[in-house]
Amino acid sequence: MVCGTIREILTGAEQRFGAEDAIRYKKKKDETEAKTYTQLKEDSEHFSAALAALGEQGSHIAITGATSYPWLVSYFGTVNSGSVAVPLDVSLPAEEMCELIDRADVTTFVFDGLRADVAAIAGERCPKLKYLISMQQEESDKDTLSFEALLREHREGFDYAPQPEQLCTIMFTSGTTGKSKGVMLTHRNLAENATCLDMKIPERTVILTVLPIHHAYCLSMDILKGISLGSVICINDSLIRVAKNIKLFEPEMILMVPLMIETLAKKLEETSWLPPAIVKGKVFGKQFHTICSGGAYLNPAYLELFEKYGITILQGYGMTECAPVISNNVSWNIRKDSVGQLLPNCEAKTVDGELWVRGSSVMQGYYKMPEETADALKDGWLVTGDLGYVDEERFVYLTGRKKNLIITKNGENVSPEEVENRIGLQRLVQEILVRESEGVIEAEIFPDYEYAKKKRIKDIGRELQQIIDDYNLSVPAHRKVYRLKVRETEFEKTPSKKIKRY
Amino acid sequence: MFEKLADIIVNYVEVDRAAIRPESRFMEDLGFTSFDFMSMLGELEDEFETEIDQQEAAGIRTVQEAADYLEKLTKEA
Repeated sequence: MVCGTIREILTGAEQRFGAEDAIRYKKKKDETEAKTYTQLKEDSEHFSAALAALGEQGSHIAITGATSYPWLVSYFGTVNSGSVAVPLDVSLPAEEMCELIDRADVTTFVFDGLRADVAAIAGERCPKLKYLISMQQEESDKDTLSFEALLREHREGFDYAPQPEQLCTIMFTSGTTGKSKGVMLTHRNLAENATCLDMKIPERTVILTVLPIHHAYCLSMDILKGISLGSVICINDSLIRVAKNIKLFEPEMILMVPLMIETLAKKLEETSWLPPAIVKGKVFGKQFHTICSGGAYLNPAYLELFEKYGITILQGYGMTECAPVISNNVSWNIRKDSVGQLLPNCEAKTVDGELWVRGSSVMQGYYKMPEETADALKDGWLVTGDLGYVDEERFVYLTGRKKNLIITKNGENVSPEEVENRIGLQRLVQEILVRESEGVIEAEIFPDYEYAKKKRIKDIGRELQQIIDDYNLSVPAHRKVYRLKVRETEFEKTPSKKIKRY
Repeated sequence: MFEKLADIIVNYVEVDRAAIRPESRFMEDLGFTSFDFMSMLGELEDEFETEIDQQEAAGIRTVQEAADYLEKLTKEA
């Protein structure tokens, strides 16, 4: 059933699967706890009621933390009350998170205790902020409200029907200009993306959610699609423990990014002298059958490798601006060299080799960035920045990227300009070019040799590595530079004196 | 500790065991991806019956640093 709002997804699932488990998570080592569909719906309504009581209904509510039951309750409680959720990457440096909170006009900040550091400075840095809500604190105090206490204090029902065209989520994504952009998604954008394609996934399928929840792919496919199908969504507590949690929760399906698939391929091949069924049972469990891959391009060779072990990989393609899935392979019609067929709610065309898409999942625009929005949306078409084409059966084929944006194998978007601008501040760095090379971020630097001479720097390579190391310490893992090349000559330039990228 | 660690490392990356040195960096020198590294930490948790803190482990760059960290954890336990 295609749903027009996120509320329809949750209430529909609650009517069908009320007393059954919706979310399972680890409480202690090897001990799990579950929440039912009814509990999820009711708790999110209590959260909505709490927001309304605070006068925050309709406001922008930022949520940060690893995937957890309180995160999900906060998200559904926010969007289903007609407010706008702003999911933020839990690994962002505090200053950067505050900048996004302020730029997105957030007035309530819901945070995991891990990021108490952000809460501590947010009051000062974000003048529009009115309320801080801690997911762990048991009782409210003068500075911080307790999530638990708010739910306890607002047991009243909450009935509000958001409209499909209403803005519901702002998701930040890296831009080519170096400043992250807030992608504005409506209820219809997200709800139709999650429900318009029938992938013939059985009801009550057990899935393990391992990707970061601030990613549109995880939110749409694991959570919204999962709930619409009455799935049992098991939360992976740490990327360190994926293997252990597979054994604990015994999932049938996992959504992954290529980086994870590559590591698991090594695990499978490690014991390739054993019969495939036994290896599969050891690594994934007998019940496991499907991996959905997205976020970045996966080499089709992995599809064959996993097939040997009886595991189907369904590769898809999308971007946050399209809420996010554009195309997906389905188990009964896989084309290995294609990223799947266009979703039923999406049409595509090619303009100068570049893919443009249109449909009910295309964003409203970037929050308060009219110029960037005009560049991305042309007469209702979303300019993807990807080179590719669509065949007569609606299968999408990708051939490359038009923009500079780096998409790492874990599906994170990194703006090379952003990295260049930061490292380029160092006096020793005269010119710098950042690009992706063999799956990692590489920086090529033309040092200021005269400056080095003046400062008597003998080992320039070492000095530059130190600059990179210092930069790496200040950024999340996906933005770290893992390779350094030192040039002896200047970069070749375009007529407008910009470094030629290719 | 270093020897045990080297035995495990070769299961994650294609590297000659003899080429692994205490000062080798996981990502830059040994070719680990961030997810390889996380997965290895999971295996180390089992191997040394300890619990690794993801935040703390994020600061580990070299094999020696990992060995020191594990040494500290197992002593505490």
